[in-house]
Formats: sequence, C-alpha cells, structure tokens
Amino acid sequence: MSHKLSRRDFLRLAGIATGGAALAACAPQPAPAPAPAAKAEPTKAAAPAAPTAAPAAAGKIKIEFMNWWGAQRRPLMDQVIADFMAANPNIEVTNQETPWDNRDQVAATAMASSTPPAVMMSTRVETYKYAKEGLIIPIDDHVKISGIDVNKLFYPGEINNQRWNGKLWAFPMPTGGGNSSLYIYNKALFKAAGLDPEKPPKTWQEMDEVAQKVIKKKGNAIEVMGVDPVGGSASVSTLINWLICNNGNLATEDAKTLTINSPEAVETLEWLVEFTNKFHGGYSNCVDFWTGNNDTAPDGRFYKDRLGIWWVNVSAFSHLKTQAPDKYKDPQNAWGVALRPYNAKNPKAASHGETGLAFAWGQVIPKAVAKEKQDAAYKFVEFLSTNNKGVCYFLFAQDRPAPLISCNANPDYKKNNPYWDTVLKALEIDMSLPVTPVQTEISSFIKEAVEKALLGTAKPKDALDTATKQGQAVLDKYWKG
Amino acid sequence: MAELMPAAPNATAQTMQVSRLTRFRYRHRYLLGYLFILPWFLSFLWFDVIPFCLNLYLSFTNYSVGPLAKAKWIGLENYATIFASDPRFLKGVGNTLYYAIGAVPLGLAFAFVIALLLNSRVRGLGVYRTAFYVPSLVPAVAASLIFLWILNTNYGALNRLLSLVGIEPIRWLSRPEWVKPAVIIVSLWGFGAQMIIFLAGLQDIPRELYEAVEIDGGGAWRKLIHLTIPLMTPVIFFNLIVGIIGSFQVFTPAYIFFGTDGGPLNAGLFYMVHIYNNAFRFFKMGYASALSLILFIFILIFTLILVRTSDRWVFYTGGGR
Repeated sequence: MSHKLSRRDFLRLAGIATGGAALAACAPQPAPAPAPAAKAEPTKAAAPAAPTAAPAAAGKIKIEFMNWWGAQRRPLMDQVIADFMAANPNIEVTNQETPWDNRDQVAATAMASSTPPAVMMSTRVETYKYAKEGLIIPIDDHVKISGIDVNKLFYPGEINNQRWNGKLWAFPMPTGGGNSSLYIYNKALFKAAGLDPEKPPKTWQEMDEVAQKVIKKKGNAIEVMGVDPVGGSASVSTLINWLICNNGNLATEDAKTLTINSPEAVETLEWLVEFTNKFHGGYSNCVDFWTGNNDTAPDGRFYKDRLGIWWVNVSAFSHLKTQAPDKYKDPQNAWGVALRPYNAKNPKAASHGETGLAFAWGQVIPKAVAKEKQDAAYKFVEFLSTNNKGVCYFLFAQDRPAPLISCNANPDYKKNNPYWDTVLKALEIDMSLPVTPVQTEISSFIKEAVEKALLGTAKPKDALDTATKQGQAVLDKYWKG
Repeated sequence: MAELMPAAPNATAQTMQVSRLTRFRYRHRYLLGYLFILPWFLSFLWFDVIPFCLNLYLSFTNYSVGPLAKAKWIGLENYATIFASDPRFLKGVGNTLYYAIGAVPLGLAFAFVIALLLNSRVRGLGVYRTAFYVPSLVPAVAASLIFLWILNTNYGALNRLLSLVGIEPIRWLSRPEWVKPAVIIVSLWGFGAQMIIFLAGLQDIPRELYEAVEIDGGGAWRKLIHLTIPLMTPVIFFNLIVGIIGSFQVFTPAYIFFGTDGGPLNAGLFYMVHIYNNAFRFFKMGYASALSLILFIFILIFTLILVRTSDRWVFYTGGGR
C-alpha cells in the first residue's frame, strides 16, 4: 500500500483546509439571542416589543463608535463619550476615530463586514444606500419608546435628510454640511473697493458690483477675487445651490423625476457662465485661483484678504477662530455674514441653502450587531444628538450651530458671533432636497454638465438636457428596482 | 525508477529500521518542498485565487454591499451595460490608453538614458545613482501632492521654468487637454525602479563585445545601436510589460489631483478611478467587478500579444526565448 503524498493529494488537502478556513471566516455570526423581556428597562411610553433596553445587571455592554471627528474635535468627542458613560454606567463606548484617507472605502467595507462597529458616522447618501441594502436599522421604534418628537427637536431641513423610504435612520449631527444659506464676506476688502461693508449683496444682480470692484488680476491670474459663484472646481453644488435660489429644485418631491433642465435650471447655468466669463475671463482662471491652497488652512484665501465672499457652511466660524484669530475677534471691521443671494429677476426666488445632497452626517446603527448592542447604540446616538452634554456641548465648542434647535438658544453664541441671528435664519431656510441612494451617480452627470457649460464645450441647455437624460436613466433604474 | 529504489532490507532490526526511514524519506521526498511553499500557496489561494473567483462571480451579479447572499444573479447585464450604455467606460479606456501610450515609452526612454549615463565611469557615480533612485522611493501620494504645487498654473515651478524660455503658463490641471500630459509628467518621477533594472542589464553586457566593436572602428553610436540596445532588449521587454501593466492601473495621481471627480470634463477619469467610483461611491460592486475583469482580460491579451511578438525584436544571447 503506497502512502505517497502526490502533488494532487497535497493540493486537494490544502484546498480543503483553506476552503474550510474561508467558509468558517465568512460564515454568518450566530443570530444574537433576543434580550429577555423581563430584563428590559422601564420605558417612557407604552413600549412596542421590538427594541429592548440593555440589561443593566449583565455587565457592561461595549459599543464602538466609528467616526471621523479628528484633530481638535477628538477631545470634545471624548468628553461627550465620558459624559454619556457617566450617565449610562452599563455601557462602554470606544471612540473609534478613523483617518479620513479613503473614507468611502473604509466606511463601505466596515459596514459590509460581519462585525461592523455598533455606531457609525455616515453621510446622507451612504445612509440611504445602507438602508436600501438592509444593513442598518431604522430608529423609529426606538424614538417611539424614547418619546421624543424629532420634528420639534430638529430643523426640518436637517431631520428630513435622515429620512428615507418613510423611515428615520439617524439623527442629524452635526448640521448638514452642504453649502448652507449663509456666506461670509470680507469687510476690509469691501471697504478698500469702495463698497459699503454693511450692505453685502442680497441678489445675483448685486453680486456684479462686488465681482467688478474687488477683483485684482495680473494677466490672466486672479490675485484677489471679489466673488466667484462657482466657488472652486465645478461640482453638482455649483448648480444646485444657485438653482434653489432661483425657485428651482434638483428633482420632484417624490424624487422620481429630475428637474435639472427646467427653465430655472437653464437660466441659473446661463447666469453662472455669463458671470464667470464677464468678470473672471473664463472658468479656467477661476479654477487656477482656487487650485492649491486649502481654504481652512492658515493661508486660506479669505484669511489672507484674497477673497471677498466665501461660500461656506457653518463650520467656517470655527476655522476662522482657529486660523485667523485676530480677524475672528473683529467682526466689526473684518468679516460679516449674510444670506445667499437670489435671482431678483425671478419673483418667486428667495435665499436658500441645501442641507447636504450627499454630506449630511448622521449616526447609523448596523443591523449586524447584536440586539443589546443596538439598543445601547441607540441610547448613545440619542444622547449624542439630542442632549445638552452631547450635540450642544460638542458644536458650541466649535462655534457652530446645532441641528438641535434648542442648543442654538445659548446666549453665549451671540457673544462670540454678532451675526448669530443670520446664522439661525440660514438654518431655517436650508432645504433638504429630494435625494435617492443613487444621487452620487446623478451628481457626477450634473457636475459634467456644469463643466461643459463653463468651459464652453456645450450650451447650458444642451449640457443640462444630456445630464438629465443620463441621470434620469439611473433614477428610473433605481425606482424600477 | 527501479535502480533508484533503496536496497532490499536485511534481517537485522536495525537495518530494517534504517530501511523504513529511507523508504519514508524516499516516498515523501517532496514533502519538505511542499511545506516550504505552503505559506506562499495559502496566501496565493487566499489573496489571489479566491478573490479572483469571487470577482468573477460578482461580475454576474448586482451585488452592492453587505452579505454576499444578497447578490442577485443577473447574467451578462453588467457587461451589456458597460459596452452599450456607460459613457464613462469609453472615457476611462480612452484616458488610460492615452496615458499608457505617453507614459510607458517616455518612462522607458528616460530610465534607459539615465541608466546609460550612470553606467559610465565618472567620479561620484554612487552619489549620482543614489540621487536618481531616491525619488522612486517617495510614496506616490507624497509625490503627487508635491506635483500639485509644481503644476500650479500661477505659482508652479514648472511654469516658472517654462516662462524662462518664453512659454506662457500652461493650465496643467484646469484644462482638459493638459490633464493627461500632467499625469504623464508625474509618472516620470518614479523612473528609478526601471532605471535600476536597466543598469543591472547594462552591467551584464560583456566588455569584450564593446572592444570588438572598437576594433572594427565603431564609435559610441554604433555601440549603442548595434550592441547595447539589442543586448538590452530582454530587459526593455521586461520593463515594457511591467510598465504597461502599471500604466493600465494608474490611479494615485489622478485621485490626488482631482479626487474621484475625474477632473475637468473627466479628462482625469482613468479606468481605475471609474472602477473605484462604481465600487465605493456608487456601491455597484458587481458592476465594478465586471469592469475589473475586463481590465484583467485586456491586460492579459495585451501581454500575450507582446510575448508572442517579442521573438521578432527581443534578442537573447543564449539564443533561447
């Protein structure tokens, strides 16, 4: 009897061993046992059976919070977590701060794994995608048990960003992160150009004077920019932010039909092209102006008096405070805040901002984590998003308003920022636009259309018609399932 | 094989024992070798074969993210969409081919010329060799970030240099027609690895062959054309294959310069960026798998063509192939 280990035998054995290991590693985790009803904590309202509270006696429940709150925000988040754990001694939260590099990839793979973190910071479109794939849980039942009224707690533009398919998937924290309805302007540059620093432009038409008077060029190179409605390289927001100030929208309310080639959209893009060519000598001059510097770094153009109007979101105050503290302390002479200009030629138009087409952060809870961890995760998410020691503390320390309305009543905000009322007004008029899980793909078509028009390779209407056709095909496919 | 078998066992127990051991050793003489390659084999299986098979399977599904069980078999739909109605696919292929056609020959020529210079006998040769090789050790991300500044239209070093000879500033990163040349320039930064291989090849050329050319009255040019280049063709061939494979997978500079947006009018949307977008931005993993399989097949065919046609221009001193 031969005991020779043939090459074939060896390969077969190795294959079986590796295959077995692979299957073992990929096998789904055993379904977590439902928390015994008897151990459930008493809840405020008549509790539906679904979510159970964490059993206090069974030792600490450990949850991980995967987030991207790095740098100066890390100690703030650590403090929030410490306060939460003090109030909930049976839950231990690990701050899983993650580097920003390859965020898309890291987030997707973490969520897709069989052991995702119990709480994960997620953008609006990511949340919708996870929800569509059944990877996260809706929090409606938990909210019901908790007894909070989210519609009263949050600005409509913020909470609606976290709703998809009739369910609520997260609380907004922080504010949307889109280009909100406000902008910051440089009073020193306004004064130097002979403009009234207390009368920032309210309409598209009033922006002409700022663009014309503030700009300084050396050949084609723009050294000081008054106002650039494109605000950097063209993107989907370039069109959408101005479209909503011209009484237009991305899509119909049911998010089934794109409206980016509506008369308002065409008018908006034509205005952008005309403005850019007239005052800046073409889109490429603008791109060159914006290339290189990071505007939130100390040598940012606004801080260095090279930019008259800065399209920002609410995080700008924190950056201003950190990077240009002298400027920040002198709002009387250095900076002011106003609402995004609208098209005065359209009687229905008004100032608006969008709370984030893709970037509107919330904290989601993966379905793959054990039930008791999900419940503990919800407790943490609710604390983070609705508690004074959570969102209010975390965002006030960054000089930015909160999506939780009550936080913004803190009188100290006004002491730091004399334009606080304008900031609050901006939050009220920020809109949650109808977005689907396939928005990222649709946005890429819109971005291309805007570029074509700005670079003069297509007429605005033709470019938008093409983008609408391409985007609508993606949208139709999505709704078709 | 019979003559290789051990001698028949004799009667003593000791001899029987030795004989058994010898037989065991003979029968399992390959075992040690297999054990040595086992770690490689397992990693090959785990990191190459299994992902490849999974990729193949996923390319026929609508897999997004999450458990594989959710992937629905859709047959050739992904492939049909790619070839029939994905405008970015052709854009990505076009951009990548443009880059490959520009970057590979330029990179080879540049590395070869520098290797020739570094193969000469001059003082401080070690310093020069180190100086030319070090840039290729800089991580691609860091190099790309540096080039972001070098290629700046208004303040970049490259445009400053060009202005010295009266050339107007070039909009390297803001005009679609300049985006790919800019990425090709960045690719030259990493020529050091190819240069080292060329240098090793150059040093393998026997000195007496050059002496023979000299005796025949040949100068430097003739040595280069009739001796150095023909003898270097196997090395050029190797670098060409590696360069082409690498160029079809260009990603980092475009990602650093333009993010996942593809730059102005998608001029920087290379094939790999398109795959990345579909996988991680659009969450169309099945579709991205199909795209990556097409890339694999394309590279495979291209490599096979090069290998098949290499006997017409690659010269092996032993006469073999």
